[in-house]
Amino acid sequence: MPSSVDAGKSVTQSGFKITTRKLPILKAGPIEEMTNKLGIAPPEMIFGDNSVRIEHEKSGWSIDFNAFDALNRVDKTGDSMLKVSYSKEWQKNRVHVHEEIKEVIKPFDWSYSTDFKGTTPNPPQFQSSNTPIPIALLTRPDPIIFFDELVLYEDELADNGIAMLSCKIRVMPARLLLLTRFFLRLDDVILRIRDTRVFVEFKTGQVIREYTAREEKYETLKQKLGSNKEDAATLMRDPNNLTEYMPVVERTLESLSLT
Amino acid sequence: MSDLDTAIAQLRACRPIPEVQVRELCYKATELLIEEGNVVGVDAPVTICGDIHGQFHDLMELFRVGGDVPETNYLFMGDFVDRGFYSLESFLLLLCLKVRYPDRITLIRGNHESRQITTVYGFYDECMRKYGSANVWRHCCEVFDYLALGALVTGAATSLEPTSAEYANEPSSQATIPGDDNEIEIEILNSEGQIINRFPRATPNGDVPSHPPKLDSSSPLATPTRTGAPGTGASGLSSGSTANEGGAVLCVHGGLSPLIDTIDKIRLLDRKQEVPHEGAMCDLLWSDPDEIDGWGLSPRGAGFLFGADIVKAFNHKNDLSLIARAHQLVMEGFKEMFESRIVTVWSAPNYCYRCGNVAAILELGEDGSNGGYVARSNGESGQSGQGRVGPGRRYRVFEAAPQDSRGMPAKKPVADYFL
Repeated sequence: MPSSVDAGKSVTQSGFKITTRKLPILKAGPIEEMTNKLGIAPPEMIFGDNSVRIEHEKSGWSIDFNAFDALNRVDKTGDSMLKVSYSKEWQKNRVHVHEEIKEVIKPFDWSYSTDFKGTTPNPPQFQSSNTPIPIALLTRPDPIIFFDELVLYEDELADNGIAMLSCKIRVMPARLLLLTRFFLRLDDVILRIRDTRVFVEFKTGQVIREYTAREEKYETLKQKLGSNKEDAATLMRDPNNLTEYMPVVERTLESLSLT
Repeated sequence: MSDLDTAIAQLRACRPIPEVQVRELCYKATELLIEEGNVVGVDAPVTICGDIHGQFHDLMELFRVGGDVPETNYLFMGDFVDRGFYSLESFLLLLCLKVRYPDRITLIRGNHESRQITTVYGFYDECMRKYGSANVWRHCCEVFDYLALGALVTGAATSLEPTSAEYANEPSSQATIPGDDNEIEIEILNSEGQIINRFPRATPNGDVPSHPPKLDSSSPLATPTRTGAPGTGASGLSSGSTANEGGAVLCVHGGLSPLIDTIDKIRLLDRKQEVPHEGAMCDLLWSDPDEIDGWGLSPRGAGFLFGADIVKAFNHKNDLSLIARAHQLVMEGFKEMFESRIVTVWSAPNYCYRCGNVAAILELGEDGSNGGYVARSNGESGQSGQGRVGPGRRYRVFEAAPQDSRGMPAKKPVADYFL
């Protein structure tokens, strides 16, 4: 198996246990099982065994990021369904030839857009808060004791762009930051970035969770990027380049204290 | 050594050839491809391969596992380029081999062999990076327009020649391991040529599973849940003939189209163009089989899905025993569906250098029983509408080449002060 795979790596810092798991995409059997449980077809690259977990050993509180829980929050009705850019053209040309084929099979949000913020099975629950994540403490070059990044799922949208949910975590001596990002680029239609940040200050047991959803039309963003067409296309592949150009459509701030 | 052999040697070392040579190669390839029909006729034995996606070192591993050209006859079902880091070397090598050994290698078009897709998914950027101009990309795109849309394999044997291969693991006692007198319908080998599993052809009283078989190549000791396609018992094929009872195998990148009910209709398409956004040509390169009845629209708003009944009817009408296609990632490297009437073959291991999947190639043997002649009676006589006996299928499953991790983005994530 490729060396990128590891069945679990973990670190414990000041009573917090951080575990990441990186395994290959699911096999046919588990995919079928997941399909049945979810009620929708999972993305083509489904890292169903991957996860990031932060556990507070004393209180038993934990937050878990995994593909199943994230996909379970994808719209399964098709009410918020997007269409690929050439859909109209395709439908129009198709109509004459085979009118009998009308049914959209199992409609659902095939862009796999999720507002997943992590699963917290045990109390305490997050409460709405005004305390922002202390960026200043995170920009200091404290040593990084533990770092990992992994993908939970990815789909090429039948070559119409990309949908990807990925996690990054860094643990410093006094605190940690986790970023789970959903990135969608539906070519010539729309871009979405939905970030969930979890910050933990070990000494105080304070946990802050910030969710920021950004969205912009493809064409508008391309104009904002301002350069020629090819450069814009290149820029639009990397979400890191894009956040400042995409307006925030939703933001929530929550916190809790662990003792 | 001819220029072509020199180019082949250079590309095998994963070094690009000069632009002027690319131009000449593309010109020669076009001259060859223009003579091919939309559906290329291919005689068994042949090894059928799915998506490659620029994973050059894995393509080398494929040749190691499947045998080199020209000793092995190959059929590649498209998607040579994009995603991987060596689209250029992979495609040019395949093209060189095509020009050098035109009868030993068949290339058909995938949805990535298109101007529009390659500008988004890597091939264009790679050409720009390696040559500093778009000329090579343009030459390659012109070749794409001439690639065939499908291939029809005839003369495939209905059972596999027993190999002297060893079992990778001792078969468990419950596993149905065919004895010498049983026809082998399916054999799965690992990259060292050892047997992972074997499945015998159904006996007349063999059970017909109600669900498609789960051919999980990664669990070598799984008890086979199937014993063959339905209708392959004695009753359905009582013609008493010893002629090859297998039909032909259609190979396309994506799948079927509601506009296409016969293979002859594929032959009539005007293929020499950029892949259109709709129509039969588009469908052949883009559509997917799914567990549905009839035809369906993809929820994406473009593209078709087709069910088991569609495949059954198409195979019957066209006297096919199997459709082989690529286009969809499968963890196990291959996936048979609809009672083995269609198979997805995927040949890019550890896809995008991070999926951890295995790859597979499908070998169809030559039918020795009847001089390679295939009866194509169109299924009217003695065929109870159940279709042809599937060909004997040998899947070779392989993992990513170790070299492919070289020069790749670091596997070990580099710690960064992200915010």
